Amino acid sequence: MQHIDLDDLFAADAIRDPHTFFGRLRESDPVHWNARHQVWIVTRHADVISIVRDHDAFSSAVIRSDARPPYPPLDVTGLTLLDEVRCFRGAQLVEQDPPRHHAMRRLLHHYFTPPAIEALRPFVRAAVTELLDELGTGRPLDVMTALAAPLPVTVIAHLMGVPEAHRPQLREFADKLLHINRGEPDRFTPLVDGIRSILEYVAPLAESRLESPGQDFISVLTEGERTGVMSRYDVLVNCALLLFAGHETTMNLIGNGILALIRHPEEWEKLRANPEQMTRGATEECLRFDPPVKSTQRIAAADVTLGERTIRKGDRIRWIMTAANRDPSAFPEPDRFRIDRRPNPHVSFGGGIHFCLGAALARVEGQELFRALAERVSTIELETREPEYQPSIQFRSLRELRVTLQ
Amino acid sequence: MSGEVPRRVGASVDHDVCVGHGGCRRVAPTAFRRTALGQSEFVEAHEEPDAGILEAAANCPVAAITVRVEESGAPRNQ
Repeated sequence: MQHIDLDDLFAADAIRDPHTFFGRLRESDPVHWNARHQVWIVTRHADVISIVRDHDAFSSAVIRSDARPPYPPLDVTGLTLLDEVRCFRGAQLVEQDPPRHHAMRRLLHHYFTPPAIEALRPFVRAAVTELLDELGTGRPLDVMTALAAPLPVTVIAHLMGVPEAHRPQLREFADKLLHINRGEPDRFTPLVDGIRSILEYVAPLAESRLESPGQDFISVLTEGERTGVMSRYDVLVNCALLLFAGHETTMNLIGNGILALIRHPEEWEKLRANPEQMTRGATEECLRFDPPVKSTQRIAAADVTLGERTIRKGDRIRWIMTAANRDPSAFPEPDRFRIDRRPNPHVSFGGGIHFCLGAALARVEGQELFRALAERVSTIELETREPEYQPSIQFRSLRELRVTLQ
Repeated sequence: MSGEVPRRVGASVDHDVCVGHGGCRRVAPTAFRRTALGQSEFVEAHEEPDAGILEAAANCPVAAITVRVEESGAPRNQ
């Protein structure tokens, strides 16, 4: 048997097929100490659930608390930029523990509940219709640039109150910020360029909302500055976070979801037979089967036992949604893509206090897009022989997905 | 305070849906408690005003809480 290095998280196999790569770990060593990167890799569904629901033991303040150097190693320039990256990431909502986390999330939370987001469905539906009308049928297109990016960018730009003309710029920032979870030693150079550019971009927007607040999330965040929950820097960082997290992940839901539907024609036919009814289940199964985010991090705040392992205070942990979502002890026939799977307790949005703020929004975007496709398109022909993915440890992002809609 | 408020709403939490966000336990700490698996469950004998339970349900990030209105509308457990 070919030797496989299960500690090389950036190996071509791990990027191409994380299901098999992390599935091996789940079956052989579900709470695995990765000696190369000095990080615990957690792959079982039940263990992931314990981690995300125990914020006392598993802290989210990874960047500020981590005494170990970033993995994989950085080049010399990267090391000089480390403090700037720590400062940026350390101010993000996702890196906070209670009570600060609750104070920050409280500003935003009620805008993102399922009923609040439901009110946005007509806007999303209209945006989907407009996009698909423009695309037409019968000619090859790249799903990622023609559908997967424009829909969530349109929606988040609308919510943030960012002018329409600025949308292409948002993608440029995102392409640089995406380097945060890459493996190249020089990854911090484009990353810090992206951090500086996006902070510079949002600064005047925040300034104008402080003077005259509007009905948008930049205004909501600046309210946090007015009430003393956040500093100006925190406001800018979290505007950047919403702009970026608000579309990058949904982009992957759309790309990976369409690919799964193409590869399972019987499920695509099920969706086409009843788009209105089936689109919710289809969206959940797309989220489970090939999640937009493959993994995320915590750091142990105390010594804690997980499975048969003892994790020491200060140890960093990466938990793998991709593996947990295919755990046979949580999902019957986990490798089968079934849009009528129920229940579907996938962990693609995490869980616990940090449960994805934008989950309901991502769901509505997925549901509206998959439904409209099933109503308007009879077949989606795959024009990409072997799809390629960005070499990220965190995001499952197709580089491109060439198809023809018929 | 809460003892004087008539309680007319009850609730249940769908454990196929609950993700253990715990917002309900912060909003209505006596009406919801943490299960061994880190999800929330409704406590029948609680001291929350109706408004707290309604707010907890409205703010659930996955809409896992179903609120029921007691038929009589009369105060309970007093």
